[in-house]
Amino acid sequence: MIRFEHVSKQFGSKKVLDDLSFEIEKGETFVIIGRSGMGKSVTIKHMVRLLSPDKGRIWIGDDLVSEARGKELSRIRLRFGLLFQGSALLQWLTAGDNVGLPLRQGSNMPQEDVDRLAEEKLKLVDLSDVFHKHPSDLSGGMQKRVGLARAIITDPEIILYDEPTSGLDPMTSRTIDALIESLRVKLGVTSVVVTHDLHSALSIGTRIALLEKGKMVEISTPQEFIRSKHPAVRDFLDANFITKKPDWETHPS
Amino acid sequence: MIITREPEFLPETPNVFARLGRAVLLSCRESGRALLMTGEAFLHMRTMFSTRSRFDVMYQLYITGVKSLGVITVVALFTGMILALQTGLELRRFSQQVNIGTAVCVSLTREMGPFMTALIVAASVGSAIAAQLGTMTVSEEVSALEIMSISPIRFLVMPRLVALLVMMPLLTVYTDIIGIIGGAIVGKTQLGVSFRAYFDNAVAFAHNKDLYVGLFKAMVFGVVITAVSCHQGFCTKDGAVGVGLATRKTVIVSFLTILVLGYIITRVFYK
Repeated sequence: MIRFEHVSKQFGSKKVLDDLSFEIEKGETFVIIGRSGMGKSVTIKHMVRLLSPDKGRIWIGDDLVSEARGKELSRIRLRFGLLFQGSALLQWLTAGDNVGLPLRQGSNMPQEDVDRLAEEKLKLVDLSDVFHKHPSDLSGGMQKRVGLARAIITDPEIILYDEPTSGLDPMTSRTIDALIESLRVKLGVTSVVVTHDLHSALSIGTRIALLEKGKMVEISTPQEFIRSKHPAVRDFLDANFITKKPDWETHPS
Repeated sequence: MIITREPEFLPETPNVFARLGRAVLLSCRESGRALLMTGEAFLHMRTMFSTRSRFDVMYQLYITGVKSLGVITVVALFTGMILALQTGLELRRFSQQVNIGTAVCVSLTREMGPFMTALIVAASVGSAIAAQLGTMTVSEEVSALEIMSISPIRFLVMPRLVALLVMMPLLTVYTDIIGIIGGAIVGKTQLGVSFRAYFDNAVAFAHNKDLYVGLFKAMVFGVVITAVSCHQGFCTKDGAVGVGLATRKTVIVSFLTILVLGYIITRVFYK
C-alpha cells in the first residue's frame, strides 16, 4: 500500500532519513515511534508530499507520490486523511464547517448534504453537539476529534496521524486510541500513526517501527517489539517503564 | 504551485560580496514566486462567483472596503486640508488663493489619493493578511488545505485579490472626494475662498486623464499589496516571531514597491 524505497532526506548538514526502506500493508495500523527530531513527522510528510525526498522513491499503491505534481498530486492526496499534531482547524469556521470543508471546496455537493455528512462524521468521533462551535470553544482532545472527523469525511483509504495523543491527558489519549482502532475496524482504512506514546503504540499498532538516526532499526508486532534485543528498542522501552520499573518502586526510601 | 516549502539551509559565507549576491538572488526568487502566486490567483478569478468562493469574496470585500472607511476618512480629510493650507498660503502671497481648488484636485486625483489610500490599506489590510496567513502557515492550516486538495491560492489569495482590485479604486475615489471637501473647508475658513469658487476652479482644470491614471495606480497598488502580503504570509516560519517579521516585512516591502511603481506610472503617463 505504502512503499518507501531507499529514501534519504537531509536538512542542512543533518541527515533526517537515511536510505529508508519499508512497506506498509493495506488495512494495518503501522505505528512509527522514536525520540524527538528523529524524522517521524518528516516520514509521514513525505507520504503526502509535503516534503520531497532527496533520494529514493515513495509509492502509494501504484502511484509514485514522490514525483507527482499538479492534478496527479491532488488525486493522490485525496486518498489520504491527515490528522495534524495541532489539529490545524481553520479558526474562523465552526467545527461543522471545518469537517465539511473538503467536500464544500472540492465537490459540487449541496450544502445540506455536506452538513449531514459532517454531522455523521462528528457522531462517529463521539462529538454530536459541537457542530456550531468554533475551535477556540473546544478542548484540545475535542479539537483532535474534529480534525479526525475532517480527515475521514472524504472516506480516505489511508489515515495519517501525527502525534494524535500529544498534549492530551492519559484518559483522553486512550479515547483517541480507541477511536483510531474503531475507525480501522469500521472503515477498513490503513493507518499510519506517529507518536511518542509507547502505551498508545502498543495498544493500537499491528506493527511498530522504531526510527533512530534516519533508519528504522526495528519493525515488528507489539509482542515482538517488547521482546526485542535491539539496544535502541531496550532504551526506549526502559524510558517508558515498560521493561524497567521506576527507581522509586525498586528502591523505596 | 506548491505553497508548503521545504526548509532551506544555506551555508554561511564570510565573503561580503557572496552574501550580497545571495541576497539579491533570493530577493529575485521571492519576487518571482510572489508573481507566480499572483498570476495563479488571477487564473482562479473565474471561480469567484461559484458557490464555494462567493461568500469568501464578499467577506473580503467587506473587510477591505467597509472596515477601512473610518481611517481613510480621517486621513483623506486631513490630507486635503494640509494640501489646501500649504498651497493656499503660498498662493495668497500672489493673491491667487482662488486656485487652490485646482491644486488640491489635481494633486489628489493624480498622486496623493491613490498613494495615501495604498499606504493605509497596506498598513491595515496588508499587514492583517500577512498575519492571518502567517499564523495559518505556522499552525499547519495551509498544509492541511493542501492535503485536502484545496488550493490555498484559490481559497485564500483569490478572494483577497478580488477585494483589493475592486476596493482600491473605490476607496481612492472616496479619498479624492473627502480630500477635496477637506480642502474646501480650509479654503472657506482659512483662506476666504467660497465653496462655489473652490469647486468651480477644481472642476474647470481637472482632467479625466488624472482620474483614470489615479484609478489605474490604485488597481496596481491593490495587486502589489495582495502579492506582498500573501507571499509573506505563506513564507512565514518560526512561530509567533516569524508572524511578526512577516507583518513588518509586508508593510516595508509594500510601501517601497508602491513608491517606486507610483513614480514609474506617473513617468509613463506624464512625459
